[in-house]
Amino acid sequence: MGKIDVKNLNIWFTDNHVIKDVSLELKSNSVTAFMGPSGCGKTTFLRAINRLNDLIVGSKTTGEIRIVGQNIYDKDVEIFELRRRVGMVFQKPNPFPKSIFDNVAFGPQLHGLDEKEELKTIVEKSLREAALWDEVKDRLEKSALDLSGGQQQRLCIARALAVNPDVILMDEPCSALDPIATAKIESLMRKLANRYTVVIVTHNMQQAARVSDYTVFLYLGKLIESGTTKNVFENPTNELTEKYITGEFG
Amino acid sequence: MKRLIDSGLEQVSSMLIRMGELAQEAVSLSVISYLENSKNHIQIKDISTNVSSMVDPIEDTIFEIMVRFQPVASDLRILKSYIKICYDFERFGRYAFDIAQIYEKLGGTKEPAFKHIIEEMSENVIEMVNTSIQSLKRHDVEQAKKLTENEKKVDELYRQYLDTLIGSKITKVTMISSLLVVRYLERIADHASYIGESVIYLSTGERTKLR
Repeated sequence: MGKIDVKNLNIWFTDNHVIKDVSLELKSNSVTAFMGPSGCGKTTFLRAINRLNDLIVGSKTTGEIRIVGQNIYDKDVEIFELRRRVGMVFQKPNPFPKSIFDNVAFGPQLHGLDEKEELKTIVEKSLREAALWDEVKDRLEKSALDLSGGQQQRLCIARALAVNPDVILMDEPCSALDPIATAKIESLMRKLANRYTVVIVTHNMQQAARVSDYTVFLYLGKLIESGTTKNVFENPTNELTEKYITGEFG
Repeated sequence: MKRLIDSGLEQVSSMLIRMGELAQEAVSLSVISYLENSKNHIQIKDISTNVSSMVDPIEDTIFEIMVRFQPVASDLRILKSYIKICYDFERFGRYAFDIAQIYEKLGGTKEPAFKHIIEEMSENVIEMVNTSIQSLKRHDVEQAKKLTENEKKVDELYRQYLDTLIGSKITKVTMISSLLVVRYLERIADHASYIGESVIYLSTGERTKLR
């Protein structure tokens, strides 16, 4: 499920060549962490996986990203369906100003589901999967904005899960959270990897080391090194990776 | 620019090298004393105890660095290797003390055939201990690799000793004394090789067998 093959990916924002000929495979049922200094193209790469960069005027993408064999940049790909299959969680929790229930039910409803009982089942299942159910089951009709930051972020994860995706993208999902909330999200990432392909961008190298199975290091838009997290953090093969992770530059 | 972790790494490196030099002193003194029939049992015991007492402070410093800086890559390999090397040095000190104890309780060996082998083994072992410490000081991979040659020689002498022992007519006491000393020398040589392997690993990430 959810294996992602990237081949010769190049991305420009007008004249700025942000991603330079990146090819790699992101394995299913695992967490892959992208790291690198600010401006290296991590977030741009992540946003290419559900074609969010298309929304930026002047962006141009060449190459292929295949999810379960299908190139998501093919002309006949429906963006709406692609973004159902590839969910995204952002740096800052962004719940809708609606009830907890409605936040999670929003996606399935948008995809045409309006049967109340079925929606209830999906909402409960998604909240359980996001490890939030026990904390909110008695106040599903309350505003999502009343939740804590960590709970809001887990709600956003539940919202992504509700449309039954294959891939979950997370762009620095813990950067606005305290250590306890961060630990809960990290633990959740590991659980999600049992069912989904999870790809995260993080500036926190210890977080990458804690949660990911594979680590990718980008620098100035180029893929410098990728491999198992154990190898990248214990014995990196590229000198740039070594210097970055040991704090010699960044 | 010097990183915060660098001061910690320098501190633990100098503690470890000091430990290694003390352990080296214990090994040299015990071997020479055994061969020259001189009693230095108390002095060797003191040095060996000092070496052992350095294990905890070194490990504590390493763990503190880990907690504070969450080291990765070469920093992590260095600390991981230092923990192993610390154990190897502790073993140097312990075997040196064991050799001193054997001399104290059983005396040395005057049998020329055995003495000759033990002398040659001792020369190689002392050289190995010295090489292992020098390679650690400079994280010198090439020097670490040189340990293989001495290690082979020590193993060869060990086998030669066992062959000579079979069928010999020496007294039981001389046999036990020399057998144990030879065995400890062989173990010291192994630990010197382990140190060389650790130096190669911390410098390059490659796992090599020097034995």
